[in-house]
Amino acid sequence: MIAEFLRRFRKKSPWVLHYNAGSCNGCDIEILACLAPKYDLERLGIRNTGNPKQSDIFLVTGPVTQRSRERLVELYTQIPEPKVVVACGSCTCTGGVFRGMYGSEDGIDRYIPVDVYIGGCAPHPEQIIDGLVQALEILEKKSKNVEQPKKLMGEISERDGGIDKTNMAGKL
Amino acid sequence: MKKTINIPLGSQHIALLEPVRFSFTCENETIVGVEADVGYVHRGVELACTTTFKFKQVGYVVARVCGLCAIIHSTCYTLAAEELMGQEVPRRASYLRLIANELDRIHSHMLCLAHTAENAGFEALFMRTMKDRELVMEAQEAMTGNRVQFDYVSIGGVNRDITTDIEALIRQRLGLLKEKVGEIKELFENNWSLSLKYKGVGIITAENAYRNSALGPLARASGIDFDVRNESAYLPYGELGFASVTMSEGDIHARNMVRLLEVFESIRLIESALDGLPEGEIAAKVRGTPEGESYMRVEAPRGECFYYLKASKGQYLDRVRIKTPTFGSVPAMIEALKGANYADAPAIIASFDPCLSCTAR
Repeated sequence: MIAEFLRRFRKKSPWVLHYNAGSCNGCDIEILACLAPKYDLERLGIRNTGNPKQSDIFLVTGPVTQRSRERLVELYTQIPEPKVVVACGSCTCTGGVFRGMYGSEDGIDRYIPVDVYIGGCAPHPEQIIDGLVQALEILEKKSKNVEQPKKLMGEISERDGGIDKTNMAGKL
Repeated sequence: MKKTINIPLGSQHIALLEPVRFSFTCENETIVGVEADVGYVHRGVELACTTTFKFKQVGYVVARVCGLCAIIHSTCYTLAAEELMGQEVPRRASYLRLIANELDRIHSHMLCLAHTAENAGFEALFMRTMKDRELVMEAQEAMTGNRVQFDYVSIGGVNRDITTDIEALIRQRLGLLKEKVGEIKELFENNWSLSLKYKGVGIITAENAYRNSALGPLARASGIDFDVRNESAYLPYGELGFASVTMSEGDIHARNMVRLLEVFESIRLIESALDGLPEGEIAAKVRGTPEGESYMRVEAPRGECFYYLKASKGQYLDRVRIKTPTFGSVPAMIEALKGANYADAPAIIASFDPCLSCTAR
């Protein structure tokens, strides 16, 4: 019963965790513009939160850079199930203009499963809203089965009494 | 017992748009030491500009260095490349470039002001500033076809002309914006709770700013009158009578006021550029390939943006070096954070308007 109760609320107010995995800021300022009065995502109950443990939608921008991939995976694993991943921007989907550059990793779907792809450099706020509405539908359908992140886990080893995160993203 | 405590901020944080990590050493509430790690967004644009992309494409690639000042990066690269090729640019194109540059500056400054207001805890002012910022975004969309990544400047000129309809739209939006920014300025100046968060917080003295090579609004808020638009005639700023804005306090309030006054100055520049817009072509025919070395400085919203190019008559350049304003301002940022309260740190960082994707490329 509690699960049913929570599901109803989750649909009404999904919270977004925004992470910049090496984008050029273009998508990030469009996401900010979405939260602002003209496009107003809050009418769908969507709020930007800084805490992965409180969020339902993971909104990622940027091709994954080598420095940010461990953080990306770590944030993904910290979000409670069910969760939806939205890739915002061309470079997040495929690498875009950054494809093949030595610091970038050609899109986030190499590391975490993506549910909605939003193309465009940079996507128009209306496109972002469209993508998030799709994400809401997917979020509703998702069961409570824990998804196994693909190509995600390298070996988790221990170092200095804690978990060593350096190889967490695995080798391609 | 150890007296200090280490608090990390970032790389993912609600107050930060971009991944940057600060490690604060705090003594009670006061920050005594700061370490900044700015390299999370390094993608390797500089190398790709010399290996993957031809010189005509590089202007659009370097725009992706930073979404906030995209047009400034492509303008800076294009001007440097044109110098290498001896390329003529029509006067109309120069004016159109100036208009696009200044529109970009307005939207970047407004975003920064909104962000500072949010980080000071004034959500309503954030919403209001972002709402007014949409006016300039509409003007940009009408003029260039896109809201953030315009791809407007190309070697030899610009890619789109403006019609009388678009000109009227820009004028109307800017007229509205001028009123709205006036209201916002009054809030920033007179609101009591904002003054508690801003006045006397995060001070950089003129000497400190000079020693740590602060640039842009940061230096101008501390009383150093340094603006590339004054110093070099890369775009026809001299013909329009540009006047730079300086304040002397060096705190968050002064930085906000510099940005607000610069928005007015930019609006004035665009209006007078539209008044005196020369007739003619928008792009000249591109001849030849670049050869030799050149550098170009352009005033980005955050300060001086520097490009160095080296080429030897091929389709591919030999070297592209980008130096962006935030990179120069990081030492000043660290200096300002020392001695501040930990609770003020997000507002101070936001008031610097750091652009990490510029910094790390």
